[in-house]
Amino acid sequence: MQDQPSAGELAEAVRGFLEEEILPNLDDPRTRFRTRVAMNALSILERELEQEEGLLREELARLADLLGKDTATPETLEKLRERVIELNRDLARSIRHGEVPEGTLERLKQTVADKLKVASPDYLERYD
Amino acid sequence: MSENWTEDLDGPLTTLLDGPIEVERAELIPGGASKDTCVVDAVTPEGELELLVRRAAGGVIYSETLSLEQEYKVLQAAYEAEIKAPKPYGYLEDLAGREAVVMARLKGESVGRRVVQKPEFETTREILPEQLAEELSKIHAIPLEQLPSLPGARTEPAADYVLSTLEQELDTLEEPHPAIELGLSWLRGHVPASHGIVLNHGDFRVGNFMVDEEGLVGILDWEFAHLGDPAEDLAWPLVRAWRFGVDHLRLGGIGEVEPYLEHYNTLTGRRITFEELFYWEVAGNVRWAIGSLNQAKRHLSGQERSVELAVIGRLASEVEYELLSLLERGS
Repeated sequence: MQDQPSAGELAEAVRGFLEEEILPNLDDPRTRFRTRVAMNALSILERELEQEEGLLREELARLADLLGKDTATPETLEKLRERVIELNRDLARSIRHGEVPEGTLERLKQTVADKLKVASPDYLERYD
Repeated sequence: MSENWTEDLDGPLTTLLDGPIEVERAELIPGGASKDTCVVDAVTPEGELELLVRRAAGGVIYSETLSLEQEYKVLQAAYEAEIKAPKPYGYLEDLAGREAVVMARLKGESVGRRVVQKPEFETTREILPEQLAEELSKIHAIPLEQLPSLPGARTEPAADYVLSTLEQELDTLEEPHPAIELGLSWLRGHVPASHGIVLNHGDFRVGNFMVDEEGLVGILDWEFAHLGDPAEDLAWPLVRAWRFGVDHLRLGGIGEVEPYLEHYNTLTGRRITFEELFYWEVAGNVRWAIGSLNQAKRHLSGQERSVELAVIGRLASEVEYELLSLLERGS
């Protein structure tokens, strides 16, 4: 086990540094913009470190349900990621061949909403 | 990125513009990722010229991006057809090792967020939908024989070509995206009536419209011009990503779709319907979802390292969400 700070806390520290010490000293609009983008990238990372595993488990459950597959959850995070990619590949292939399992749209929308919780949490508020 | 090509413009511009000219200012500006853009002020015997020099920078967003030479020829045809577009001055085959185009620098605002939000453009936003319809009607009327060889559909319905291109681009990503597949599946099942094959601007949306307080100044960025159904071009500015936060105004965050579509139909004699526009709006979201993922690919492959491109890949999920919301409405 690594010592403190955690990975998320390190990302947060870098983001705070960019915001408080770098950004105020930048004049070039292009570099300012890119610094803000970099800060955004770090906050995505922070949210992902916190939420990834839980969101992947939910995605796996939805995919397994749609495809009628085994719902046993892999033990490691690495295996979980692999399994989710594999089932997404199966679902994508199936849709390409004209076979769209009942409930696909609804479940995919939940999964994409979950991706947004990490990538762009404010975006969902723009839908009513 | 090598930036010193801007220091050596006197020679090429003198040849191109039948000199003698002197470059007073040459400054790279932030902009499109696939091209470098340089602001140039040049003094000629006839007076000062305000120019933009666009030079190839390596990467492309879509597989079918035009070369600068093709883009120049399209711009020339558009300018001759009296479409509001920057005056093209010439094509340079070799500007410090890469091709470049020299064109007039239009004055105004093109940054999407400012165009849709700034109070001083309120009058502009009122008249813009009809102005856009008018320009698009002229673009779609350019005789194809006046254009260089362009990518795109050769036979009707153009949707077939668009769908197979999108499928290929998705496959090139080599990762599964069931949401985008679902969009493609819906598109395959709902191909609308064809309205012929015309020149498409290819990136006709807020962000590529230069405006001032009086209205439209010019249509920019012709690098995605191709042959396709006119409704494809007409629907592209409806895609939510191009509303820049003003989501309730479906035409690019500036206005309603009705006056725009009606004006276009009146000017062209075509009868494009809301349903057909909806179809192409779905197609546009599929295209931009893939486009966003491709941006990240350019970063990851090392073609163009950029934190900006990297983050755009993650924002593909916004486009996927919009796509699925449209499919809900369309089912």
